Amino acid sequence: MKRVAIIGVGNSKFGVRSDVTYPELAFEAFKEALEDAGIAQEDIEMSVVGTVGNRLYDMYPAPLINEYIGLASKGPLRVEAACASGSAALFTAYDAIASERVETAIVIGVEKMCEVDTQTSTAIGGRGCYLWEFHMFGTSFASYYALFATAHMAKYKTTEEQLAKVAVKNHYYASKNPKAHFQKEITIETVLKSRVICWPLKLYDCCPISDGAAALILASGEKIKDLGVQDPVWIEAIGFGSDTGNLTRREDYTSLKSTKMASEMAYKIAKVKPEDVEVAEVHDCFTIAEIMAYEDLEFCKKGEGGKLIDEGQTWIGGKIPTNIDGGLKAKGHPLGATGCSMVYELTRQLRNESGNRQVPLKKYIALAHNVGMTGQYCYVTILRR
Amino acid sequence: MYKTPEQQTLKSRALTLTHEIPISRTKTYWEGLKEGKVFATKCKKCGKVYYPPQVDCPRCLTSDIEWIQLFVGRLETFTQVYLKPQGFTQYEDNYIIAIVETKEGAKIMGWLEEKDIGVAKIGMLVKVSAKTMSDGFPIIILKPAV
Repeated sequence: MKRVAIIGVGNSKFGVRSDVTYPELAFEAFKEALEDAGIAQEDIEMSVVGTVGNRLYDMYPAPLINEYIGLASKGPLRVEAACASGSAALFTAYDAIASERVETAIVIGVEKMCEVDTQTSTAIGGRGCYLWEFHMFGTSFASYYALFATAHMAKYKTTEEQLAKVAVKNHYYASKNPKAHFQKEITIETVLKSRVICWPLKLYDCCPISDGAAALILASGEKIKDLGVQDPVWIEAIGFGSDTGNLTRREDYTSLKSTKMASEMAYKIAKVKPEDVEVAEVHDCFTIAEIMAYEDLEFCKKGEGGKLIDEGQTWIGGKIPTNIDGGLKAKGHPLGATGCSMVYELTRQLRNESGNRQVPLKKYIALAHNVGMTGQYCYVTILRR
Repeated sequence: MYKTPEQQTLKSRALTLTHEIPISRTKTYWEGLKEGKVFATKCKKCGKVYYPPQVDCPRCLTSDIEWIQLFVGRLETFTQVYLKPQGFTQYEDNYIIAIVETKEGAKIMGWLEEKDIGVAKIGMLVKVSAKTMSDGFPIIILKPAV
């Protein structure tokens, strides 16, 4: 396997982007990544588009994106793994370089979610398993994670206040990130008094429905010498995991097995321990998801995720600063863009480019954790500089 | 869709998707729901119970299965849905979705027949049945067993 470096990153403004179409949105992230890498379209051998795309009017969006950004002849596929589509696309491009098929590739994660109304979007999101769940029971994405929240609260005495603290942290950092969907700080009271979406999850426990794009340009260890790139961020490992499609076939509802599988694989390949990670992006589509991620990634013991946020250990200055860009919760969660946006943030953190959100680093090791659906897919990416 | 006055949009032609989902091989399940019964499948060779019911056992690569009825189980987790998705907004009540581990060895999803979520307790015993809603859709009903 060849080593693979990240040589350029870009991220559009996340939010309700009624001002642009999805190719125009992808262009924003693409242009920034291309300029960041200091290369041109002809230097890119392959384009991998990651998008869920099921809220679009186009059913086959990748060729239209590649055409719009000047890569019409470089895009042989579109990759989908629900909310982990961005990481799945990164995994695909990474493998193409690691296996010496190509020397450079771009990953474009994009999602346009706000062109349909909220109830339609909720119905699409809730169709994780149509026939045996949605058809009869009207599941929504929030309801899936709420089932985990109820079980976690009962088993580990995790409280609604602890869940709220995750939202408070992520809104705080989003308020310092101009690309985040939400730009305002909130309090624990804001969360606890917000309307119930799926008990015990309230409005401020849930990520917003967002539009956004992020792009990553990758190159092989040999190619970066030709391009004159020095001291890049390296992809040390990408671990993957998956689990049952039907939620009723899970062993338990207090952790995501696919997170454990993906992180164990990534830690092993990268020869890194959880305590070596200095900054993390975890999949906090709902506050309970961030609590479970702390535990399943072994940032703390099982059941002690609530305690970790109580102690402030996931803020800058704590043991493991997490979601310092606002996370899915407050930066926004445009599905296909999310995995790429996590790596965008971590790449900039590892380059010490994060300004007033910069995490102090010694080992320069970062981790991105991207879940698809309710743990049906998971990718864990470890970066190092 | 949220937009500012200066943001212009173009309305697409509507797309309506309604599917005809094949249920020939799981007919027992869907007929059972109409009679108030909930069925799972069991592989005759290895004895593994499948819910949702599947008529092919991937462990044995056999399609020799039997149908077993589910009667009672314990509540494993639950939620109450306030923000309802399209297709469910016509129901007045905020429905409670629960996952139950049945004594017959399958976990199932259903609606708890309660309006007050305070009644729901993890570990509580529930009876499993089914009914047809006034709009014709089937639903699995979980009733506190006490």
